[in-house]
Amino acid sequence: MTGPDEDWAGLLKAGMSGDARAYRAFLAAISPVIRGIVRVRGRALGDAQCEDVVQDVLLAIHTKRHTWRQDAPLRPWLYAITRHKVVDAFRARGSRIDLPVEDFDDLLQAPAEADPTERSDMDKLIGMLDERSAGIVRMIGLEGNSAAEAGAQLGMTEGAVRVALHRALKALAVLRERHVE
Amino acid sequence: MKTEDLLRALAEDATPAIGPAAMLARTLPVALAVSGAGMWLTLGPRADLGHAMTSLVPLLRHVLTLALFAISMLLAWRFLRPEGRAPLWPLAIPVLAAGTLLIWGLFSTPPDGWQMALQGKTQMVCLISIPLLSVPPVTALLLAFRQGAATNPTLAGGLAGLAGGGLGAAIYALHCIEDSPIFYVTWYGVAIAIVTAVSTLIGSRFLRW
Repeated sequence: MTGPDEDWAGLLKAGMSGDARAYRAFLAAISPVIRGIVRVRGRALGDAQCEDVVQDVLLAIHTKRHTWRQDAPLRPWLYAITRHKVVDAFRARGSRIDLPVEDFDDLLQAPAEADPTERSDMDKLIGMLDERSAGIVRMIGLEGNSAAEAGAQLGMTEGAVRVALHRALKALAVLRERHVE
Repeated sequence: MKTEDLLRALAEDATPAIGPAAMLARTLPVALAVSGAGMWLTLGPRADLGHAMTSLVPLLRHVLTLALFAISMLLAWRFLRPEGRAPLWPLAIPVLAAGTLLIWGLFSTPPDGWQMALQGKTQMVCLISIPLLSVPPVTALLLAFRQGAATNPTLAGGLAGLAGGGLGAAIYALHCIEDSPIFYVTWYGVAIAIVTAVSTLIGSRFLRW
């Protein structure tokens, strides 16, 4: 099973050297897989809460993407982050789960499931950011603006929007970690 | 916010994060300068530093503490990657070497001199200075480790303590005039253990992600 590894690694590599489209494709490709793992493991939580966990994992993968060594296989890295965040997220929601990393290959066979209803956990966290940061995350995420478009509306340069977005996402990851305790 | 929307926001963030190595390159030189200058200006290097650095038993203080630093860093570096695993036994190398040296020290000192060798003249200075001199390097290491993705933050914090404590002790050893292994293995060991305990505690929270 070298197919997905190479595909994903290629996309992530391109994404890390600045190709936003490739990076988006990478995130889109791994999301259903992570969703499958979380759903299989977290049946007790229900689909909606599972999606919060999926978002936790994706945010962690994003903020820690630089810890992937580009010459190392991608999947062990990806699974390790997923496992760590999934266990964390379930513990925080009051249910322990056992997630041996050996099971991941089986779990990958689980059918990919679609994005369910809107989730609120991330909205709550975004609401805890300062107004400008929250606005930027919403404009780009919810309204689909590019950094340049958001900048034009806010009277900021594209670069400043990018820096603010980067900080906002980092802050979200930290908030999530605290919120989860 | 739907996952779809989150992905859109994530994909727009192309700003590369600072990795642990890049962070270490920024923080560690500053930390070493602070600790080095702190030792030099307050305690001062020992008068016969040249001699101490060229005779074996005093020099072993630097060899052992720097070996502890090096081994802890090599291990920590593996644990900073989420999928990283490493056996911990290499840490036993400097510990066993120090233990052997301590036993050698006991054999080469007459038993009625053990008490004096253990107490030395600077026990309190040593126990206070090493932890203080370790604060900058441990801070530098924890800041760098935070840029990694340790799935065991407690362990990573402990390794930061061993490595930073080793550095702090190595810097202190430039001042310290106690050349008996009975003294330095014991008290350097206790001081580094204190640093490690504190760093483990800090790491278990600070290195979470």
